[in-house]
Formats: sequence, structure tokens, C-alpha cells
Amino acid sequence: MTASERVVEETVESRSDASTGEPAVAIDGLRKTFGSGPEAVTAVDGVSVGIERGSVVGLLGPNGAGKTTLIKSVLGMVVPDEGDVHIGGVDARASPRAAYADVDAMLEGARNDYWRLTVRENLRYFATISGVDPDSVAARHDRLLDRLDLTAKADVAVRDLSRGMKQKVSLASVLAGGASVVFLDEPTLGLDVESSRTLQRELRRLVAEEDLTVILSSHDMDVVERVCDRVIIMADGRVVADDSVDALLGVDDTHRLELTSADFDGDLLAALSQRAAVVDTEGLDRGGRVAVDADSDDLYSLMGALEDRGVTLESVQSVDRDLEAAFVDLTGTEGADP
Amino acid sequence: MTTDETGAADVARPAGYRQLIRAVLYREYLVFVRYPANAIGGIVVALFFFGVLFYGGRMIAGRALTDSIEGIIVGYFLWTLSVGAYSAISNDIGSEVQWGTLERHVMTPFGFAPVALLKGVAKLVRTFLTSAFVLAVMLVMTGTTLSLNVLTVVTVATLTVVSVLGLGFAAGGITVLYKRVGNWLNLLQFGFIVLISAPAFDLRWTRLLPLAHGSALLQRAMVDGTRLWEFSAPALALLVGVAVGYLAGGYLVFQVATRRARKLGVLGDY
Repeated sequence: MTASERVVEETVESRSDASTGEPAVAIDGLRKTFGSGPEAVTAVDGVSVGIERGSVVGLLGPNGAGKTTLIKSVLGMVVPDEGDVHIGGVDARASPRAAYADVDAMLEGARNDYWRLTVRENLRYFATISGVDPDSVAARHDRLLDRLDLTAKADVAVRDLSRGMKQKVSLASVLAGGASVVFLDEPTLGLDVESSRTLQRELRRLVAEEDLTVILSSHDMDVVERVCDRVIIMADGRVVADDSVDALLGVDDTHRLELTSADFDGDLLAALSQRAAVVDTEGLDRGGRVAVDADSDDLYSLMGALEDRGVTLESVQSVDRDLEAAFVDLTGTEGADP
Repeated sequence: MTTDETGAADVARPAGYRQLIRAVLYREYLVFVRYPANAIGGIVVALFFFGVLFYGGRMIAGRALTDSIEGIIVGYFLWTLSVGAYSAISNDIGSEVQWGTLERHVMTPFGFAPVALLKGVAKLVRTFLTSAFVLAVMLVMTGTTLSLNVLTVVTVATLTVVSVLGLGFAAGGITVLYKRVGNWLNLLQFGFIVLISAPAFDLRWTRLLPLAHGSALLQRAMVDGTRLWEFSAPALALLVGVAVGYLAGGYLVFQVATRRARKLGVLGDY
């Protein structure tokens, strides 16, 4: 048996028993600077992150935040200046072939597969180069095609498929070899709403069924919000937030509401602004508007006070905090760009 | 191991180099038979330029050209082989960069280098098929007869073109590093004409250049009818040495360039 075949065999065995307790991906003090002197740009600046098995982690950040460099540094496509990467406990620098054998990636803006081959031929090819005999995972390929609604197109050349289908083929080819750690850089880029939603749904289902660990970068915060359990936000090469989606969205027992009334005069707005739950007041041509961040007790108290003052509310609007708001708060940037 | 709804389990078996070789060669075969336009286009262009060379040359140089037509046909045959192998491998590496598939290969257990080498073998076979067709048409067009001992011609031509494959790897590696230089490197194929017609017998050092020594041996094989076993051992050793040397050198340049591209973070840029 050759060295490469040994690595591949060990990999296949490790895929069968992934419950070693090690984080799927452990990044420690990763740093990458491009160029030198005054022109030097530090794209990744001492990033340390651990990603648990079976989790779906979103990577967000403004343009130039260092997300793609981080992903490529983890994958060995960019050689970092400092820091360590362990995949499934294996040092990626010392044993790259063994470390990456259980990893695959769908990269931003790239085809990622061969358009002149059919869908099934791509799956077989990429399974082989990832070290798995394609005949032994033929049933898995059928299942993947079925899950991604590609069975009818299995023998069609990828170049003849729609953009949404091509993205699905990319995803299928990434999963064809049975990689348990998958990096998806902009998986829904360029898809219409319908195709994007379908891909998100199938991705979520595959994550659950195949026990995948997914690191997903997307400019579409809806995708991150719907698909990911946890979000890492980067700015200027550093991690500025790393928390669960719920925590970043501020999902607790407080509610943000906007109340509008013609009865909100200057005196009343001034009085209301003294309340801790009131975060903003604004006078309008007719009356005014009050924004509150209130839990149930605050809300009952406020409503009681308004009732006592004889205020008639014209509108009560719930303003849910979304990931974009959290992103803007943390990075001071409007919108994300991977 | 994963299980489907019916309870059937996948037991993933490892794939070794045997499966890799089969996968890469099968992919090249599929692309060749499914999309023959490139091959046909190459044949048409090669024959068009030969037609211009032959008929135009005959009008201008008359008998002088007709007297040396055998050498011209052998040289042209070798040139089409060289250009086919060189551009196929260097352009292919460029395409893999553009498609993002080179990056995917880099992190696999096999890496991209053995895949690129296997692609090179497939391109060589493909180029032999198209160049053999071009050769046949040239012989009919000019009414020329050449000695076509298959074993001798295939062995000498293959070893000759392997050195160009090495140049293709080096060019592909440089393209990975400096994307814009890639197009300029295609001009190198016109330099092959100089190498093929290099005076390997008079200027002995030129025998160390790619193509030159092999071209001289191929002329002797196809024009004079010299068989493979009739060449001297040093001549054959030099042919093998040049082939292996340039292939190894090109492969090394490709590996170093890929590593440098990873360091600079430009592996997938296009």
C-alpha cells in the first residue's frame, strides 16, 4: 500500500468514526499579511476560532474584512504567516493531506466542477479525487441527487443546467466524497429568491442527515440567519463578534416597538423619554413617535401610563432586530460583502 | 458510513492511484469524444497553414521546396504534436485556475500535480491522434512517401514531445502566478519551429534543447527509414535524458509556482 493510499484509507476510517471529541476545525492565532512595508495589508489578524462538529457557522463581514483569506488559509490554499489550523485534531500544516481529506469547499464565484461532464460524472470524479472509490458510494450519490432534486438531470451536462441547478451540482460534488467538514463561500450568490430558499432548505436538511459541519460565508444575511446556528463577524481581519444567531439577534423577553399617536405632544414626549424602556422619541407634524425596548412588565407599565393620560394609539409596530442591524452595530458598516 | 431510508449502508472504500488514473483519463476521454470541435478546429487550422506553406512555397521556391518536402512534413508533424501537447497542458492549467477546480484539487489527498501529469499523458495521446491524421493528409496532398515504422515513430516522437510537455507544465505554473503572462507564453510555440529545425548535428550543444535532438532522430527515422534499434545507445540515452530532464524541470517549476501562489494568496485569482 502506498503512502497516499494509507492516508486515504485512514481518512475513510476517520469518516466512519467522527466522534473523537475534537472540534471539527480549530484555528489558533492565524495571521496573514499581503505585501510588505507601508503597502502591507494584514488580511487576517490573529484569528482564533473553534468550530464544533455538526454546527453550521456563518461568516460575515464587510468587504475586505478577511473572510475569504481566512477560509483559504484554513484550507491551505493560502499559506498563513502565523498560527495553526487543526482539522479533526490533525495539524493541517504538518499533515495537510490527512487533515484536508475529510474537507471540501465550494468557493465563491468559481464553477467548482466540470461543466462539460454530466452531473453524475462530476460526483464520481470528485469522490475519486477526494480519496473515495466512487463505486462504493454510488448509493450515496443517488441519495444526494434525490435530496437536491437533481435525479432527472443526473445524465445532463452541467453546462446545460440553470444557474440554480449548477449551484446545487456544486454542492452535491462537494458532498460526493463524504466530506464531513464543508466550507461554502457564497453558496447562494446569483440565485433568485426561490432557488436560494430551496438551496437553504436542502442544505439545512443535509446538515441534519449527514451530520455535517458547515462554515458558510454569505453576503445575504437572511441565508445566514436561516441556515446558521452561530455567526462569526469579522472586520479588519479580526473577529469582532462570535455568538449564536439568537444572541446576536437579541432574542430574549424584550421587544422593540414603535408607538405613534396624535396625542404625543412635547410635554408627554419629554416625560416618556425619562422612562428606561423608551429608547427614542420623535415629534411629528401631528403628535409624535416613541420607540421602546421593553420586557412584559415595562410594556404593561407604559401602556397603563398612556391609558391614564388618555392617549389614543394610532399604530403599534413591532420592530424586530435582524442580523443586519447587529452587523451594522458591530462593524459600523451598512451591509455585508464577503 | 451513512445509511439510507431502506437501511442500506454505504461503506466507502478508499480510492488509490489506480482509481485516480481511471478517473482522470476517463474525464479527458469524455471531453474529447463529446466535444470534438476543438480537435477538428485544430486539424483544419494545421492543414490550412500546411496548404499555404506547401502550395505557396511551391509557387515561390519551386523545385527547391519539393526536394525538401519530406523534411518539411516531418518537421510540421512534430510541430503540430508539440503545439498540441504544450498548449493543451498550459491552457488546461489556466482553465482549472479559472474554474476553481485547481484549488479543490490542491486540498485533496492526491493534490493537483499527479492529476496534471495524467492530464498531460491524455493530451499527448489525443494530440497523437489528431497529428497522425494531419500527417496522413499531408502525405496525400504532397504525394510523398515516408517510412512509418510505428514503434520507432511513436517512441521517438513521444520522447521528443515529452520535453515540450515539461515546458507546458512550467508555463502553466507561471500562469498560476502571473495570470497575464499566460497569453504571452503561448507565443513560445512559434519558438518550437526554431528548435525543431535546430542544427543538432552541426551545433552539438543544441541537442540539449527541447525538441532539437528528437527532431533530428525523427527525421532519420521517417525520411531515411532508420529503426529504433539502429540508433546508437548514446543518441537514445540523450533523447530519454532530455525528455526526463525537461519534464522533471517543468514539473518542479509548476510545484514551486503553485507553492509561491499559495504564499502570495493568488492561487485562485483570475
